[in-house]
Amino acid sequence: MEEVINALMAAIMSNQVNIPLLQPLFRLMVQIPGAGFMVSFILWKPFFAALISPGFATLGILLLFFPWVERKLCGRIQWRVGPHEIVWWLGGIIQLLADSLRFLFQEVIVHKDAQRPYFLQFPFLTFIPTLLPLLFIPAGSIVAIQTPYAIQIILALVCLFPLFIIGLGWASNSRFAFIGTVREAFMYFAYEVAFIVAVLAMVILYGTSDLVEIGAHQAGWVWGICINPVAAVVFFIGAAMATARLPFEIADAEQELAAGPHVEYSGIGFGLIYVICYEKAYILSGLMTVLFLGGGSGPQIGVLGELSGLIWFLLKTFIVMVTLFVLRVLYPRYRLDQALNIGWSSLLSLSLFALALSIAITAVAGAGAVAGAVGGGIV
Amino acid sequence: MVEIKTAEGEKDRNISILKTGVLSPLKRWGVKWSLWPCHFVTSCCGVELAHAFACGFDGERLGTLNMGISRQANFIIVEGTITRKMARALRIVWEQMPDPKFVEVIGACGERGGLFWNSYNITRPSDIVPVDFFVPGCPVTPEGLLRGVRAVQHKIEGLDRTTIKFKRVKLPSEPEPGQGKENMVPSSPKVFAPTPAIKVDIRRDVEWAFGAELVKRLESELEGLYERITITDINRIAIKTLPEHLTELAGRLKSGLGVDHVKNVNVIEVPHERKYIVEYMVSGYREDLKPVIINIFTEVGRKPDGEPEQEVPSIARLWASADYSEREMHDFFGIRFAGNEWMGRNFILAPELHTPLRKDFKLDEERYVLEGETPYAPSIKPPTELELPLPPGLLEDAEANEELVALVGPHHTGSGHLRWILRMKGDIIVDVIPDPGYVHRTMEKLAENRLYIQNIPLFERANISDPINMHLGYVRTIEKALGIEVPERASYIRTIMAELSRIGAFFYDSGIFSLFLGHSTGFMYVWAIREMILEAMVRATGSRCTPSFIIPGGIRRDISREVLELIDNFTSAIHRRLRKFEDIFIYNPVFVARAKDVGVLTKEEAIRCGIVGPFLRASGVEYDVRKVEPYEVYDDLDWDITTGDAGDCLGRYMGRYEEIKESLRIVKQAVDTLKSLPRGEIISKELLGEYKAASEDIKGHLFHVYGNLVLPRGEWTTVTEAARGTLLYSIVSDGESNVPYRVRIITPSWLNLRGIVEATKGERVADFWAIYGSFGYFPPEADR
Repeated sequence: MEEVINALMAAIMSNQVNIPLLQPLFRLMVQIPGAGFMVSFILWKPFFAALISPGFATLGILLLFFPWVERKLCGRIQWRVGPHEIVWWLGGIIQLLADSLRFLFQEVIVHKDAQRPYFLQFPFLTFIPTLLPLLFIPAGSIVAIQTPYAIQIILALVCLFPLFIIGLGWASNSRFAFIGTVREAFMYFAYEVAFIVAVLAMVILYGTSDLVEIGAHQAGWVWGICINPVAAVVFFIGAAMATARLPFEIADAEQELAAGPHVEYSGIGFGLIYVICYEKAYILSGLMTVLFLGGGSGPQIGVLGELSGLIWFLLKTFIVMVTLFVLRVLYPRYRLDQALNIGWSSLLSLSLFALALSIAITAVAGAGAVAGAVGGGIV
Repeated sequence: MVEIKTAEGEKDRNISILKTGVLSPLKRWGVKWSLWPCHFVTSCCGVELAHAFACGFDGERLGTLNMGISRQANFIIVEGTITRKMARALRIVWEQMPDPKFVEVIGACGERGGLFWNSYNITRPSDIVPVDFFVPGCPVTPEGLLRGVRAVQHKIEGLDRTTIKFKRVKLPSEPEPGQGKENMVPSSPKVFAPTPAIKVDIRRDVEWAFGAELVKRLESELEGLYERITITDINRIAIKTLPEHLTELAGRLKSGLGVDHVKNVNVIEVPHERKYIVEYMVSGYREDLKPVIINIFTEVGRKPDGEPEQEVPSIARLWASADYSEREMHDFFGIRFAGNEWMGRNFILAPELHTPLRKDFKLDEERYVLEGETPYAPSIKPPTELELPLPPGLLEDAEANEELVALVGPHHTGSGHLRWILRMKGDIIVDVIPDPGYVHRTMEKLAENRLYIQNIPLFERANISDPINMHLGYVRTIEKALGIEVPERASYIRTIMAELSRIGAFFYDSGIFSLFLGHSTGFMYVWAIREMILEAMVRATGSRCTPSFIIPGGIRRDISREVLELIDNFTSAIHRRLRKFEDIFIYNPVFVARAKDVGVLTKEEAIRCGIVGPFLRASGVEYDVRKVEPYEVYDDLDWDITTGDAGDCLGRYMGRYEEIKESLRIVKQAVDTLKSLPRGEIISKELLGEYKAASEDIKGHLFHVYGNLVLPRGEWTTVTEAARGTLLYSIVSDGESNVPYRVRIITPSWLNLRGIVEATKGERVADFWAIYGSFGYFPPEADR
């Protein structure tokens, strides 16, 4: 028994998040019985990555404040102030807290025509594809599950997004939800192929689909976006389509379909759906950061150790997210057929070009050598 | 069948939900800062609602985020008038919302009817849903609206209202005779002639050479089909015919003379002569016919119970533009137009109303009886059921053709205040059926019961985004009847104000257009520019949206030099800000992709379905009332008509954009001229009688001068170029009463409705909103 615990402890201790700044504190805490185990468990990389950062806790905080950032920023661009009065001396920063409390305490209406069990299940089921990818996205060297199939798994889960939206719409059994659902299905085909090809281009370039290694490849300043900008553009547009951002907010066009698949959801049901859209954006922005923006690379802050990579990763992800969300104030909405046209012609050909570019670079420089060699050289 | 009923316990239920449970403080705090109004625009106060949530006032500061969907909102802001049709929608939307939910009613109409207090088509929101707070005003200011939001927040929090002590009053209805205190009538008493002499073709000797020629031509062309042809005024001809000759006469006018559209369909009931007069006002876009309006009228017998003795043949097959107006007249008078397929059911009226414009349908009269200190309120019964019928056979037909039917509106982010019945096959719209009348506030009936001067504020409520042009048209009709010349200074000020109003309406429409395309920034930018126009309006007239500025013979008050300077500065400031708007919206590739080659109306189609104004010009017809039949000082200023030939959404929009640039030019020139004019007469002395001193300031003399205004006998018709197109007023006067016998208003939006329908057929579903937005359709204006 003791051997098992010791082996477990050894496994945990061998895979700790290294933070030099906090080391003295941890050493102190280890002497307290129980607390030491707790601390080392929390700092156990898989646990830390999945539940604290970049996993649930970070996501939670982000969900609470990101919509506020978005609303404030959009407000600024639109010559107004956005949420303000709630705590005026902090610029209304806890607006989302009020909104979520309101959603929580509001009546949940299941209308007569709805497919009741599915109507209630789908908002929760949608969390599966939107939360699981978090386990595979590394922030610097912090990752919950490191596997050579990380990209494949994330892509598979990302491609499940629309399935659940379609489920939502179908269970709602309403006309606008129906139209929205069909549009969602169409949109899925518009971006999926190009999106996957763009990721494939990067996999070929790096010669691996292990995201931690990909992040390590870009340790210098030569990021994926510098080597293959075309793939980055395709990925970004694909992400905008996948997260239904304007100009591709076609399935839940509020002015046309009254929020499409979400039209019948109320109370906490809608609250969950509202949150999911930010989660999707978080995951895709995280993936974009790792693939194209160097993951956790950046000037190392020695005392923070591995947290330094984490901070750079979160910062970049945040910027990508903000860019995704600010599209809302810059563009009107495309029509469905126009979006399909973009997806199947420009986007697809761009992605194929990106693929060809990657193949050409790899052929010239040798698989996996490019980013590593150049990046390593600079470092 | 579901019945509308406001239960006794409904009123404070939502507050009590928040007050129960241990988590009550959290609940209340959350709801307080997260009141999301559902986007339920019920009437013209919606314009000010938009201002309250645009960048000028930014309602989002309070945590209120406009949400389009009732299921996700918890707050309704009822904007003004709730008509009988809209009452059903209001109740349905309220029922759809999850508890706890709150209602704020803004605008005078929402309280006791406001200006429309004795209309046959209104209800009181408090009878339909429990109301948490009323904000008075007509329309309310954005500040007032936001203050109302604050008040609801305080109510949720449980705070007492500390600033204002509200008095609780019970509104008495229908006082018993002898009860209450009779007050003095504040204005001139109304005089109704007992047997009014109605004649719509009174001969006038005018100098109009083309008219004599035209009459000769008509006489030879229509041999045997007419009873008499009369020149009633310059550019106005009346042809009397029998109902059985109507179709053939119309056909000959169309083929022989090139008459190609109907401006107006009108019915006048003359009960004591036992007849209905049915009029068609037609015209042509041929160069010489443009200013001419030919009034084809016929008489139909009236049975003692009010029913017409025979049907009138419909001319909607010849001129599609007559279709909707015929349906409307069927609603109002019960006249059946043989050949129009819609007959037999209501088009713009609620299902339970029948023939309200007949003279035996009486409205409540103004009575100055007080109960305590409260005037009595007419009793209004809310509708009893929620059903609003669809056209019969529609659903079966759609199912047989494998089509999907979706009802867009009246509660829908992209519907405005009317219901659209979309029939779709895949992503293609097969047909769209409009269901207007949700903001039908019965202006034509109300006008028959008010003094001429009292109708000015009434008509400008038809469209508070373009108020000056709305009442300018009416006042011009009165001036035409009385033959008054307006002083030069007043004329210049009128032109400036009318153009400012036009610019404001364009900004309104661009804001809505960009919202329909999902672009909120475009909306915010133009709405910020619109604030400037409204500021100019406030400085000049004292009111943001409802100035009632223009009165017969002149204007209500003079504009000072400082205000002129301000307007001058605004014209250049607007140019600068428009450039930013261009960058973000007009030259946005996505916008261009959405609007180009969408909803194309060719010149022929546009004329056939009778659209007007900038939308007609965008299809290549060079017709602008300001050039064709110049009024005010448009003739003296240097400006151009903007026409296009694309006829698509982009063309319609850019046409208007160019047009308001011309408008800015007009304003600039008029302001420059006005600066050099000396201050002086602003109301024509011809009209003032003994109150000559009032010609520079009417203050204190308004009712002395205008109270007993009586128009000469006959029918008086004018057309005015309002922001969205040709605005037609037709007043029938008996020459004795000081109220009009009948006023017919044809607003541009009403005429453009047909255009939207025609342009939408065969387009993709998402294009509907692009087309709808590009037409600048303003439902209160269309429904009147």
